[in-house]
Amino acid sequence: MFKKRKQGRTKKHRKGDIPTGSFSDIAFLLIIYFLVATTLVKVKSITADLPAGEKSNQTQSEKTPVIRLSTNGIRFNDKDVDVELLNERLAALELLEKEESKRTIMLESEKGTPYDLYFQAFAAISSNGGLVALVEEE
Amino acid sequence: MRKSQRKKRRSVPVPIASMGDIAFLLIIFFLVCSEVSKDKANVRVTLPESEKVEKMEATVVARIAVSEDGEIYFDGVRVDGAKDVEWGVRALLTNTVTDDQRHVQFKCDANLPKETFEPVLKAIAEAGGIIEAVGEKTN
Repeated sequence: MFKKRKQGRTKKHRKGDIPTGSFSDIAFLLIIYFLVATTLVKVKSITADLPAGEKSNQTQSEKTPVIRLSTNGIRFNDKDVDVELLNERLAALELLEKEESKRTIMLESEKGTPYDLYFQAFAAISSNGGLVALVEEE
Repeated sequence: MRKSQRKKRRSVPVPIASMGDIAFLLIIFFLVCSEVSKDKANVRVTLPESEKVEKMEATVVARIAVSEDGEIYFDGVRVDGAKDVEWGVRALLTNTVTDDQRHVQFKCDANLPKETFEPVLKAIAEAGGIIEAVGEKTN
């Protein structure tokens, strides 16, 4: 009886091999997961190619559309408009069908005009195929 | 004679013992080599919203940001003014051949006044960059 108890208490020393056979599978699965799951960061933007150059003293042609921005809102050819109406007016000009030199839209702004409004004007101009020309203050 | 003609079919085991090592080396290689996007510089900006924004397809040569407190960042590094931006962009565009290589990302806080961001826009234009103004799509 005593002998049997002693035998039961003795621990069996097993060989503790870590199974490494599936490591390669895990690693490749990780690689495939990241390859599939990752997306390249793509920011959303509006393209505006502003013409560089010196300020011209020449009077601006009456036909060139002018957008005036102020803290109060947007004016298109001296008429108050909102963003939607501005889009409509610019779409009516059919700028994409005109040659590049006639696609210019003058963008004038008062002091304190927020970038948000500028951005809306940029968006409207570039989505309708216009080229932005910034007007400098005197 | 017959016996010698018979081909011995040996089982050819593919050595797969090192596959795990190769895979982990690949993971480590990409972890070490990959670079965190410069776009993620710690610049606090509230982006303007518009329905017209589209996913940017062009590759940009530089990233300019104007933070909510009016500080200007060139590729994540703070610069003193618009003139630095102009020189920086001009230097990057010296060897450009096509228009595709002239795109400059511009990020600006929606609430900033004209006096703060317009000189930067003009600087990019003067240097010959095509502005990619970053915004968010209106929900």
